[in-house]
Amino acid sequence: MNSTGAKLWSGAFLSVAMLLSGAANSSCDFDTDDADGPDFLDKIIQCEKQQGSRDKSAKTSRANNSAQITKLYGDGSLTASGIIERPVAAAGTLNHHANQSFVARQPYSLRPDAKFEESVTIAIQKLHLEMAHYCARGWDMQRQWTEPNGQQQGDFFLHYQFRCAGT
Amino acid sequence: MNKLALSAAVAAAVGLASNSFADGPIDGTIYGKINVSVVNTDENSSDKWKLNSNASRLGVKGKTKITDGLYAVYKAEFEICVDDGDCKGQTFTQRNIMGGIRGSFGTVWAGKHDSPTKLAQKKIDLFNDLEGDIKNTFEGENRVSNIIAYTSPTVSGFSGTVAMIPGEGADVDGDGIDDTGLSDGVSYSLSYNKDNLYLAVAGDQDVDSQDLVRMVMQYKMDNLKLGAMYQQNEDNQGTKDESGFFVSAAYKMDKTTLKAQYGFIEDDVDGDEEETLSLGADYKLSKNTKAYIFYTDNTDSEVDSADDEASSFGVGMEHKF
Repeated sequence: MNSTGAKLWSGAFLSVAMLLSGAANSSCDFDTDDADGPDFLDKIIQCEKQQGSRDKSAKTSRANNSAQITKLYGDGSLTASGIIERPVAAAGTLNHHANQSFVARQPYSLRPDAKFEESVTIAIQKLHLEMAHYCARGWDMQRQWTEPNGQQQGDFFLHYQFRCAGT
Repeated sequence: MNKLALSAAVAAAVGLASNSFADGPIDGTIYGKINVSVVNTDENSSDKWKLNSNASRLGVKGKTKITDGLYAVYKAEFEICVDDGDCKGQTFTQRNIMGGIRGSFGTVWAGKHDSPTKLAQKKIDLFNDLEGDIKNTFEGENRVSNIIAYTSPTVSGFSGTVAMIPGEGADVDGDGIDDTGLSDGVSYSLSYNKDNLYLAVAGDQDVDSQDLVRMVMQYKMDNLKLGAMYQQNEDNQGTKDESGFFVSAAYKMDKTTLKAQYGFIEDDVDGDEEETLSLGADYKLSKNTKAYIFYTDNTDSEVDSADDEASSFGVGMEHKF
């Protein structure tokens, strides 16, 4: 490739990069070296799912004309399912963020050999603990949805989007 | 049309295409890293100072939802040469570039990419991209063109990848006949990754003129991370039949990580040996930035000739984004 061609392609590449950077998510847990790891495909899917949730949250936020939605997962320790999750807030450590919206999620399993600790009942219990932690004076549920866990068939994530009461 | 305008037009066209035809959300993420080091290398009693770029890179990756549970995934990564801007005569050189379809059945993907055998190493090489990189001692660290691969879903910690590499008319097995099949070269890996343990078996058949089998282990205990690899490989000309091992250890103390690794491989055909030893430390400056220092000694010993020895000492920094 001659120097003119190289510069042209470089310019085009940087322009595309600048365009795409608008969609980039700096809070994503994707580490640069993960791109060369054996599970790079899982990392892409996991990371972009977080972005998808963020996009959905942003749309809901605009519709409700409310404050930005804070995501409560993806910044913690590695669970047995291989997903980085924030630990569930301990009971008794209560806060209240009036009118602020959050999205929390918990993994659960519908596999026949799933343990009780992996049941949807426990997932709901943990989500309520989180809601009580951030919205001690009450909340309203804005949305709930489930996404499959791409790492193992039969495993899912239950998401709760909630907003703390205004008082 | 001048170059800048043309570049902008290309970018605009890509953006327009994304907005017009995508069924699901387009989530593209820019990522990369700058890794520069100042290195003094003493090779056979002749030393020189260098500024190295160490595979600094810029990439784009993402996924697009096709239907529920079905995604197009992609990654395009390019090396940037921070030291002199000259990547083999170009501004960018291609690193891992792939596209694929991901569903509950797994992922079918293709492109130019690290082979499953190379991926299976899982960063037990603690001095990757530096003078102590195990690619300087061991075969099997290949980025392969024309790779067509299938990666299974992870089931109970187990996952597998098998890749076919068409020869496209090249003589990949060295038998004097051009290879034109779909699976002229094959690379595979089977791994188990759960809790703190990672195990993998991987191999190549007629990849980079080598038939190869490697076993990899990584184990994490609190602040200590241990890695080990055993490998056997022979070239398809019958002139090389190597076996060797590699071990590494990293110990984290607050912001500092101490690192050491050693590898040895011997050729049973002619008795030649290769040895690598690296010691170093990383100091974390922030979540994405670290400074590091290292010493590496690589020795190639050939029967009936003097050892070829290179030792390097360097300091550097890495910033990921």
